[in-house]
Amino acid sequence: MTFEDLLRAPAFSLDQATKRTTLLEELSSLNEWHRERCIPYRRILDRMWPDKAESLDPLPYLPVGIFKSQRLVSVPDEEIAVTLSSSGTTGQEVSRVYLDRTTAHRQTLALGHTMSHLLGTRRLPMVLVDTRSLMKDRSQFSARGAGVLGMMNFGREHFWTLDENMQLDIWGFRRFLARHGDSPFLMFGFTFMVWQYLYRQLQGAAVNLENGILIHSGGWKKLQEEAVDNSEFKRRLREATGLKRVYNFYGMAEQVGSVFLEGDDGYLYTSNFSEVIVRDPVTWREAAPGATGVIQVLSTLPLSYPGHSILTEDLGIVHGADDSTCGRRGTRFSVTGRVPRAELRGCSDTHAFGSHA
Amino acid sequence: MTMDVVSPETRSIIDLDRALNALRQAPNLRPFSLCIVDFCAAFSAALQRDAQASLFPELKVLGFHLRRAAVTELQRHFEALDSGDCILVPRGLVFHIPPANVDTIFIYSWLLAALTGNRNVIRLSSRESPQISILLRLFAEAARDSHAEDILATTLILRYGHDRAITAAISAAADVRVVWGGDRYVNEIRSIPLAPHAREVTFPDRYSMSVIRASAYLEADARERANLASRFYNDTYWFDQAGCSSPRLLVWIGRPEECTKASQPFIAELEAQIRSREYRLPTGAYLKKLTFACNTIANGGATSWSSPANELCVLSLENLQTLKRDHPGGGLLFEYAAEDLSALVEIIERRDQTLTHFGFEPAELRDLARNLNGKGIDRIVPVGEALNFHRYWDGHDLLQEMTRRVHVRN
Repeated sequence: MTFEDLLRAPAFSLDQATKRTTLLEELSSLNEWHRERCIPYRRILDRMWPDKAESLDPLPYLPVGIFKSQRLVSVPDEEIAVTLSSSGTTGQEVSRVYLDRTTAHRQTLALGHTMSHLLGTRRLPMVLVDTRSLMKDRSQFSARGAGVLGMMNFGREHFWTLDENMQLDIWGFRRFLARHGDSPFLMFGFTFMVWQYLYRQLQGAAVNLENGILIHSGGWKKLQEEAVDNSEFKRRLREATGLKRVYNFYGMAEQVGSVFLEGDDGYLYTSNFSEVIVRDPVTWREAAPGATGVIQVLSTLPLSYPGHSILTEDLGIVHGADDSTCGRRGTRFSVTGRVPRAELRGCSDTHAFGSHA
Repeated sequence: MTMDVVSPETRSIIDLDRALNALRQAPNLRPFSLCIVDFCAAFSAALQRDAQASLFPELKVLGFHLRRAAVTELQRHFEALDSGDCILVPRGLVFHIPPANVDTIFIYSWLLAALTGNRNVIRLSSRESPQISILLRLFAEAARDSHAEDILATTLILRYGHDRAITAAISAAADVRVVWGGDRYVNEIRSIPLAPHAREVTFPDRYSMSVIRASAYLEADARERANLASRFYNDTYWFDQAGCSSPRLLVWIGRPEECTKASQPFIAELEAQIRSREYRLPTGAYLKKLTFACNTIANGGATSWSSPANELCVLSLENLQTLKRDHPGGGLLFEYAAEDLSALVEIIERRDQTLTHFGFEPAELRDLARNLNGKGIDRIVPVGEALNFHRYWDGHDLLQEMTRRVHVRN
């Protein structure tokens, strides 16, 4: 199946056998595509993955951290349209991903295709749980900016809920709801922003979001500190605002457009363009369903950089495939946390003066 | 200013000026005075019989270095330094800033300064570890058992965070400052002034390697091979290969086919050690290592890679010039084969500290040291002794660093 075929097939409609056969072909040819165009990638492939893969499991993957230290590009520099950067969790090193127009377009199409499952094809009035100042420089995008911009395509009459000090524009929000609140409208924001700046500032404000569809993403670390998990997050939002339709998605700056969208059953699902493999952290082979391991994400989208197969630093569990109770096909999985950062001992690694001991 | 006095006696906050004053008023001990030798023996005994301490091999080794016999041996070396018209005397107050994450170094650092009669201030970071707690507990016990009031009076152990004001106050009072840590950390400390006459001994980031003669390995019998792997394991894995002295590069010396033939069983033996000692690397550390390996290969810095276990990755170098000295730790070896030891001379730099060896004649090793002529390498020791503490460290003779010479002419 070509990319166009995958776009034509309805979202979440591919059975696992078809999906894996298609992906093996696509990803094998992407390996060759990038091997020919990206010298550092070619070295990694030739020296670390000399054998040809006959299934998805032994396909080469790059550790996600390499996008922080290595400039991996498969197009001439003049074709780079956007450079995405994300700080990740360490805060110091920045991950960089280079997009040409084709790849950016594929990302947009794939994201739209996946989201259409929830949103249909018409654009809904849209609430952005973020600040307009995020959009200032479009050539050097943060992952947050790119994420918001990508999602903006699915809405119209956008309303930015926060000012640059992260204060809720409650009157603006009420005006938006007075105009659009009686029929479905779309909301998007990063999980933490939704919690910290929307939910908290809306508590007791008596706004009615029962026609809203909230899509959110971006990690649970800060919410976990408050012992708020996905179901608690949904429960509290519903209690405070009447919001019923809340969908998380799992995705990363290194694979924009290739998102794993939560179903009505609370699990994440692979799209037509993506797959996950959960790897046993000792053997690094594909782990059995139900076992926790390190998540590898596969995507057919990236042409301008070799990001089609990435070993993340997230932990997760594959629960099953083609077995959902909410009408979706694909791999059903959940993300359970991050691989803990390892502090090795030794004398060369003493904490720097002025940093936290 | 907040700090805890760890020894002597635990009080939560002290007046630093008063504490430094008390230290100045403390008895002025001569080098290798009976009370310090007795104290070391008591400390050694406490380390060897303590059930908790026995769980940590590095504490056992420390106990070994503190034995009366070991200390007396050091005393003999020290006395040999007296040349007749020079009398060796303590420098005075030594301020020790040990690394935050090798738990035993503060005692080694203290040991050589205390043996030579100095008063000591030790700064411990706010990071706690079982090893440090055990050491502090046994230190107090040994002082009690050996009635070493003088040792307690001349040793002040503080625990505080990165407080520049405290470090500056102690530095101003110190005659010697001993700084262990990464380059950035050493530079930070260095920017804090010392008294004009005071000196500083620094132990910054270092790199270490190992060299094995392939033919000697191939001739070794199974027992000898297992023994070598065991010693290599200790050197490499005790501090997760993050210790400055742990080998990160292994150079085989011999004909190419010999080197290839020797490498394979050696790596297999090393992996067997990792398994039998049940060494486990956290997944996060493995991912860091994998990222490092990919990055090195992407840069053309290595030509092949193998990872028989999470705990052991081997990256082959096509030539030594491509070796970069950054390293993730956790069991990653660069491997290279050379016809002759002289290949090392080309690439050794000042940062290189320890070279462990197997299968060479003493004369070859001495020639190597001479041929290096100061380019780098401070220690050339047998495989298995990389982490052994010694008065000679990083090119310093610590016994001499801690003493001053008084020239006496008749």
